[in-house]
Amino acid sequence: MASTVIATVVTTVIAFVIFRSDGEPALATPLTGFSAPFVFGRFNVPKGNPLTVEAVALGRRLFYDVRLSANNSISCATCHMQHLAFTDGKPTAIGISGKKLAFNSMSLANLLWGSEHFFWNGRADSLEQQALIPIQDIDEMGQNLDELVVELNADAHYKAMFAAAYGDINADNIAKALSAFERTLVSSNSKYDQYLRGEATLTDQEDLGRKLFVAHPDVKTSLRGGNCIDCHSQFLTAGFKPLYDGFSNNGLDNEENLSMGLQIVTNDPAHRGFFKVPTLRNIAVTAPYMHDGRLASLDDVLDHYNEGTQLSSTLSPLIMEADNVVRGAQEPISLNLSDNEKRAIIAFLHTLTDHDFLTNKSISSPF
Amino acid sequence: MRILHNITVYTAIISFTMLFTACSNEQDKAGPPELPTAVDTAAAGLSDKAAMVTDSNREESQAVVLLRGLPTLGTHHSVAIVELDPDAENFGDILHEFEISDLQAPLHHLYYSPTGRLYATGLDPKCSLAEIDLTRNASGAPVINGVDCLDTQGQQVGEDIMWHSVNGTQYMFVTFMAGTGIEQTDGGSLSVFDAQSNEVIKIIEARKSQVAEGEPYIMYPHGISAYQDRMLISSTIHADLATGVGNAITVIDLNTFTPVETITVEDAKPVGFPSAPVEVLFVRPSIVDNVAPHVLVNTMFGFETWQIPYNEVDKTFGPPVKIYDGVTQNTGVPLEFYGNATELFISHAIPGVVKRYALASLPELVSSGPDIKSEAGAHHMIFYPGKSGRQLIAVQNNLLNLGNAADNDPTDLDFIAKVNDHSITVHDLQTGDRLASINFKDKYRKGIDNVEALFGSGFTHHH
Repeated sequence: MASTVIATVVTTVIAFVIFRSDGEPALATPLTGFSAPFVFGRFNVPKGNPLTVEAVALGRRLFYDVRLSANNSISCATCHMQHLAFTDGKPTAIGISGKKLAFNSMSLANLLWGSEHFFWNGRADSLEQQALIPIQDIDEMGQNLDELVVELNADAHYKAMFAAAYGDINADNIAKALSAFERTLVSSNSKYDQYLRGEATLTDQEDLGRKLFVAHPDVKTSLRGGNCIDCHSQFLTAGFKPLYDGFSNNGLDNEENLSMGLQIVTNDPAHRGFFKVPTLRNIAVTAPYMHDGRLASLDDVLDHYNEGTQLSSTLSPLIMEADNVVRGAQEPISLNLSDNEKRAIIAFLHTLTDHDFLTNKSISSPF
Repeated sequence: MRILHNITVYTAIISFTMLFTACSNEQDKAGPPELPTAVDTAAAGLSDKAAMVTDSNREESQAVVLLRGLPTLGTHHSVAIVELDPDAENFGDILHEFEISDLQAPLHHLYYSPTGRLYATGLDPKCSLAEIDLTRNASGAPVINGVDCLDTQGQQVGEDIMWHSVNGTQYMFVTFMAGTGIEQTDGGSLSVFDAQSNEVIKIIEARKSQVAEGEPYIMYPHGISAYQDRMLISSTIHADLATGVGNAITVIDLNTFTPVETITVEDAKPVGFPSAPVEVLFVRPSIVDNVAPHVLVNTMFGFETWQIPYNEVDKTFGPPVKIYDGVTQNTGVPLEFYGNATELFISHAIPGVVKRYALASLPELVSSGPDIKSEAGAHHMIFYPGKSGRQLIAVQNNLLNLGNAADNDPTDLDFIAKVNDHSITVHDLQTGDRLASINFKDKYRKGIDNVEALFGSGFTHHH
């Protein structure tokens, strides 16, 4: 569990570091205490950036350090706040320029799994690549990387931590450290996780919500479903991993108002309006919702899928044909869930809140 | 598991087995194909996108296996994860292993629950049912941290598990071949567990000696299957493999958790013993669209497959009809039913073959392709894609994972050694061609008891 992992990290004191002649650290401690649920599935850690005690400790410090912004006013944690599951509660983030950014701050829970394309539109192919983009973006953190390296080199504590984790202080190693820390942000102790492990029982309403969550409706067999699992996998409750399977057009806009989304990366018109399917872990504390934060509450989200889906050429076919009643050809897209069923799904979504993850001091600010 | 040698009981079976040994030896024993050279695409830099590509370590072709330590070979029972893609450079390698050194008899069968928990039934009285703690380490690799033996309230020799909902509540049902005591000559139980807490809710017993003549009984249960509020369990063989053999299946009313009917499934006795129904499959609409519900039964010593019609309106079962005769087809000891989206597969330990049938043609057994010729003891199987893209089937070839007298193994039963190849053979699912094999006894000095796909079942219908 994440708490175990980070506890190991924070208790490590880096006192003496022995350097090799090539500048690589002589000591890097494998993160042996790490444990994650098997059912979340396979994850890949780059061989060039294995999870080590030293790397994660360094990444944690950098994540919470305002020196990563140009005017030393904001850190990664400014838009990714632990008690909000590493989101910021705003429709779209606001950086050092004071301008509203284009996208809602994504949760950083369980980044080891799901799609390996990051940001809402998938424009980064790795966490390491992603990490440096907001730091340098003029509206987000506006930091010059060369200046940041100079600034960090002036700090003896950072020099020791970088030496222990990677060797030199440089942009690549900053990215690696941030990524290593983010990979340890594992949320796996929600009530739903405890239910999966046999440690908790869901209420009747939560269990109805769970059953609806994992069911694609089928009027022929009278199987009622919320259709959630077609995009949010059963155990991880996030998007799928292969290629761009973790991206979808979920019907927020009609054809005229469809934004570029994933198409900006793939240049494929079939990906217009596609955005990353986010994790639903801790979803009850990450409002507002969707890539642009347009939906204020989970009720609004359920209403969207139940009666607000907009038709467009790239709308997910799994959404388009899903219905709990026989629908006429001219009738609008709707799941036709009852109010009771919507409430049950929301009750289930609340079981995804992991209070340990939201309050664990070992992943909070070290400052 | 207490094993009693009883040569008398099995003399006929030995003879039958010997007849088919030659057939088994004539099978194609081609070795593993020449493997491509693996390319390590991982590197450390950040500037090159390809540099971040990591070891993807395909899990679709990995399996969990239960291995049995062979006493004369000095090995311990274990749960292991193995690579089964013939195109992988590490084909046949044990990727992770958790040894269980404190059990006399090994774990028996593996099952994933609907919530992803891994369970195993067991043959040792100290561990007749267990939950296996499976997690992932910092590299993402699956690791087994422990085996938690569950309280079965004295029930012994766990066999099959099925999760099934009754009136909106999901339960875990387990058959215990030795029931509440292996010393009982007609024992056996079906146990109802709380699917969350693993606590026993009810032990369903009805020993033949303790019920009135003609009343339904439960004896040596092994196979299990269910549809709606009816569950079927088989009556196979006493857990000591000597005291007695069954010839029936028992119907359980899941509204009351009581046996309501026992149906004899027996005809000819090719080896002179009762038929020993082993696995049952309640063929139902969730398996085959619009199918008329019916039951299939494999009889281990009858060498047959039977069909029993079911009327779901009045909840009655019709007379059993034999639809496959192993004696005329040169097969014996039919064991498992497995199915994918289009086919039903039945394993026959003798000579070691998996036969396949069109799912859509059920309840008739209409061949859907060439036999998959594995090895003596053909038993459990999994289905999965190889990295080349072709669909594969792996067959575990051991009837019962017992020792061989040639090794001075005290667990040996003479005939069983001849239907234990100790191997997994891997075949092209479409053609049945054998692509590779692993002999666990040769490679690891262990037998193999069971195989299950590592992440999620590689099949859709088993019970």
